[in-house]
Amino acid sequence: MTDFDLVRKNLFRKPLRTILLTVSIFMAFLIFGMLTSLNVALNRASESGSSAERLVVSNKINFTQPLPIAYVNRIAAIPGVTGVTHSSWFGAFYQDQRNSRFVGFAVDPATYMTLYANDIRLTDAERKAFIAERTGVIVGKSIADQYGWKVGQTVPISSNIYVKPDGRRSWDMKITGIFTGAKPTDSTAALYFHYDYLNETNTFGRDQIGNVAVRTASSDLNTQVAKAIDAAFANSPYETSTVDEKTFAQAFLKQAGDLNFIVTMVVAAAFAAILMIVSTTLVSAMRERTKEIGVMKTLGFSSPRVLRMVLGEALLLSTMGAVLGLAVSAFILAGLSKSPAASTFGDLSMAPIVALSGLLLAITLGLVTGAIPAASALRMSIVDALNRR
Amino acid sequence: MSLMSQTRSVIAMNVRSIPQRLWMSVATVVSIALVVAVLLGFLSLANGFNQTLKGSGAPDVAIVLREGSEAELNSTLSREQVDLLGRGPGVKVGADGRPIVSGELFLVVDGIKKSSRTKANMPLRGVGANGLLVRKQAKISQGRMFAPGSNEIVVGAGLLREFEGFELGKSVRFGAQTWRVVGVFEAPGTVFESELWADAPVVQSLFKRGTSFQTARVVLTSPGALPAFEAYAKSEPRLQLKAQSELDYYAAQAERSGLLIRYFGWPLGIIMAIGALAGALNTMYASVSSRAAEIATLRVIGFSGFSAFMGTMVEAMVLSAIGALLGVAICALGFNGLSASTLGAGFTQVAFRVQIGPEIIGQAVTLALLIGLVGGIFPGWRAARQKPLLALAA
Amino acid sequence: MSALIQLNNVTKNYRRGKEGIAIFDGLNLTIEKGDFVAIMGPSGSGKTTLLNLLGGTDRCDGGQIIFDGERIDGYSEGQLAAWRARSVGFIFQFYNLMPVLTAAQNVELPLMLTKLPARKRRDNVETALKIVELSDRAKHKPKELSGGQQQRVAIARAIVSDPKLLLADEPTGDLDRNTANDILRTLQQLNRELGKTIIMVTHDPEAARFANRTLHLDKGTFAEVTA
Ligand SMILES: Nc1ncnc2c1ncn2[C@@H]1O[C@H](COP(=O)(O)OP(=O)(O)OP(=O)(O)O)[C@@H](O)[C@H]1O
Ligand SMILES: [Mg+2]
Repeated sequence: MTDFDLVRKNLFRKPLRTILLTVSIFMAFLIFGMLTSLNVALNRASESGSSAERLVVSNKINFTQPLPIAYVNRIAAIPGVTGVTHSSWFGAFYQDQRNSRFVGFAVDPATYMTLYANDIRLTDAERKAFIAERTGVIVGKSIADQYGWKVGQTVPISSNIYVKPDGRRSWDMKITGIFTGAKPTDSTAALYFHYDYLNETNTFGRDQIGNVAVRTASSDLNTQVAKAIDAAFANSPYETSTVDEKTFAQAFLKQAGDLNFIVTMVVAAAFAAILMIVSTTLVSAMRERTKEIGVMKTLGFSSPRVLRMVLGEALLLSTMGAVLGLAVSAFILAGLSKSPAASTFGDLSMAPIVALSGLLLAITLGLVTGAIPAASALRMSIVDALNRR
Repeated sequence: MSLMSQTRSVIAMNVRSIPQRLWMSVATVVSIALVVAVLLGFLSLANGFNQTLKGSGAPDVAIVLREGSEAELNSTLSREQVDLLGRGPGVKVGADGRPIVSGELFLVVDGIKKSSRTKANMPLRGVGANGLLVRKQAKISQGRMFAPGSNEIVVGAGLLREFEGFELGKSVRFGAQTWRVVGVFEAPGTVFESELWADAPVVQSLFKRGTSFQTARVVLTSPGALPAFEAYAKSEPRLQLKAQSELDYYAAQAERSGLLIRYFGWPLGIIMAIGALAGALNTMYASVSSRAAEIATLRVIGFSGFSAFMGTMVEAMVLSAIGALLGVAICALGFNGLSASTLGAGFTQVAFRVQIGPEIIGQAVTLALLIGLVGGIFPGWRAARQKPLLALAA
Repeated sequence: MSALIQLNNVTKNYRRGKEGIAIFDGLNLTIEKGDFVAIMGPSGSGKTTLLNLLGGTDRCDGGQIIFDGERIDGYSEGQLAAWRARSVGFIFQFYNLMPVLTAAQNVELPLMLTKLPARKRRDNVETALKIVELSDRAKHKPKELSGGQQQRVAIARAIVSDPKLLLADEPTGDLDRNTANDILRTLQQLNRELGKTIIMVTHDPEAARFANRTLHLDKGTFAEVTA
């Protein structure tokens, strides 16, 4: 028999009580696992395909306000800029505006495919075909799978923004490629087509574009280049605001609300609740055992050793609940990741950092909940403990 | 002794013994309170947001968008179309003898949100002289309305609360343009409070919109006039627009936007509730085992198992009721009325106030009492089956 | 024979409220190696307190406690614990077995404080259980044993690490006459065959007859009573 055997046997002396406590802890870690993973996934999704190496130039008033297409060439001439392309939000949907919306951009294919070669993975043949075909569109694998689209097929893609001269809002586009992301977990619910095709058939906002993406010679130059770009267009009717892609994406995510804050509050509430439940139950369980602890000490078990065993019991309980909770949430998340509904979040599966911080949290919980019983076990005098009936 | 009075005295004994398990009972109460507070927090967030959207629409105002546009941001209307709308059936005529129609622009501009200190989308609405007439809830509360043809804006009280730098008298820049804040308007409980308003022609020229608008609001003589007006907007060849009641327009948005928060709140509430239930069961089993001798003694002198069951049951219900009360109090005092904002369907920030309501309180309290009920039944069952004598030996 | 235990001028006070009450005020006692001493005396005379002092589970306020030539009254908590594990076996009136452990595991408990290998531990546990004639109940939990059997397990636990001294506080106080006599015979046997020094507190004159000598404790001093 080892100390651990003793700890284990003591923990399960009243199995129902221990199971109920484990359920409480399990639920708290389920919440922790799910919410933090969701939060991590959302942050990552907002950054997927965005990098600190590229800059986004948008209208200073707001990124939904347009920029003139002429800016593309003027930005290209600014020192430090090594690549420029542009994109315009299309408000794309297929058939049904509510249920089949996707991320859709009108782009300049040749330059876009150069700047985003790493994020939009196509075969060389597909890339060439896309650049060559004026009505060509490339669609993400998840969309192609969802609608059963194949390369070569022509599909009507509608816009909730642009209108053709004849009043129709749908453009026939020929699928020239199906792309995947840089990582298998990146969201691919997007499509890209030729800006020229849109511009020549569009009634509204001709020769205007949404945002310009810029590649710099080195990311050390970013701040300097961004300043130069904004300075070049200062006091013009279209002033610009240039930031790196990551900053841009994070600012956009923040608009929905402070998810970090809400997650923190909910997790804190859940942990406050189990902290109280577990520590009060452990205190009362340990009180029932006062005499046994007195006997152990009489037999010659040192106070520090008794303290370690009591703390060990609390730690065993909390890690048991935590490991179960984290494992089940990892399992649920893995399942959710496969469902198409969750594909917009990209990779939902539990990040190692979430699992690790969960375990650290479990250890903290064990130490905190075990602290009071352990301290009283440490201080308890043998005479008093044995007098207890 | 009758069953009733037996039960009453056992309940009294149970409730009086709560202080013996004070800390475990407190833990149960607090954990139930936290479940209620979290659930109610989410529900009142959703509720406040929904109430704001729903409160924004008037039944006798028609909002007209381009066919196929779901949001004001994506719509376009020409000057001629707006004029034509005024000639439709059932349009109310104002004091000046002209139909009450407001052609409006809806643009997104950046502001700095106070809570996150990051850029966020604000709606800038270009409205005409009829802007206030089509929104009966809105009135200028500080300063004055912008002067036609000037670079002046008035700000909604909600936007003022959520964004930095829009106080009366300040100058704000959008791109190269400078505007002056000359007034603050209130439109309590509506999305309009989250907007900036400026003179439509000035907005048209500064944002290079020519003479086009995005939407029109038309005041009708009565809500009953809507179908005829809707048909007119749709079938008149020069219009071919979608008219709908403003009430329905915002109700549909509320329907879509509130879901996310609600679908978040319930699963979380239920998971936490199961955790709290496990805690409650533990406390109640501890209650039963600490009183095993007492219960056995009572059984010996003729008390029924039912009274032992009820004693435990009522103790659990009392704890959960206190927890529910505490949870509602936390939410009512801590969150209710707080100002928040999120991205609405119009792709701009909607400021709203967290709002507790009787219906959602009822839902959260029900969940708490359910914890008490289940947390009492099983331990109560054990109490009821306590053998009259055996426990005395233990 | 040499002295195993020597108390020199030991004082012990308890504080009750503001005033302290003196239990012992200059107690002297010598117990020889291999002796079996019964201690009797009225309730509240300080018998249990004396055992606590002898076993190092309580501290005296003055005087010397010498065990096998060494002063233990100055030991730290940790030293005392280690010393108890090595040198003293305890037998309580209410057995005080761990309810979650089997008889064998209860007996093994003191061996967790030694560095003995698992094999040796098992042998020791078996031997101890054989001495108290409970080998067939090794796998039983305390709940499944009678009072007398539980006390036998407790005795096995007390002797398993082969201490020189056994302290027993009313070991038969909770048992019927026959069972009590069995237990007492076992203690006598431990004293005679294994040479254990035993100090046993009892209220029962019959039990005291199993000891070599009986000390009478009253008002903080001893009076020897010959058997
Ligand atoms: N922890 C304590 N605090 C205060 N007084 C105590 C404490 N423990 C014992 N006493 C007092 O010391 C005296 C001796 O107690 P002790 O338990 O040694 O008596 P005893 O001889 O073993 O009695 P009994 O035969 O009833 O077991 C008693 O008057 C008792 O009230
Ligand atoms: Mg005593």
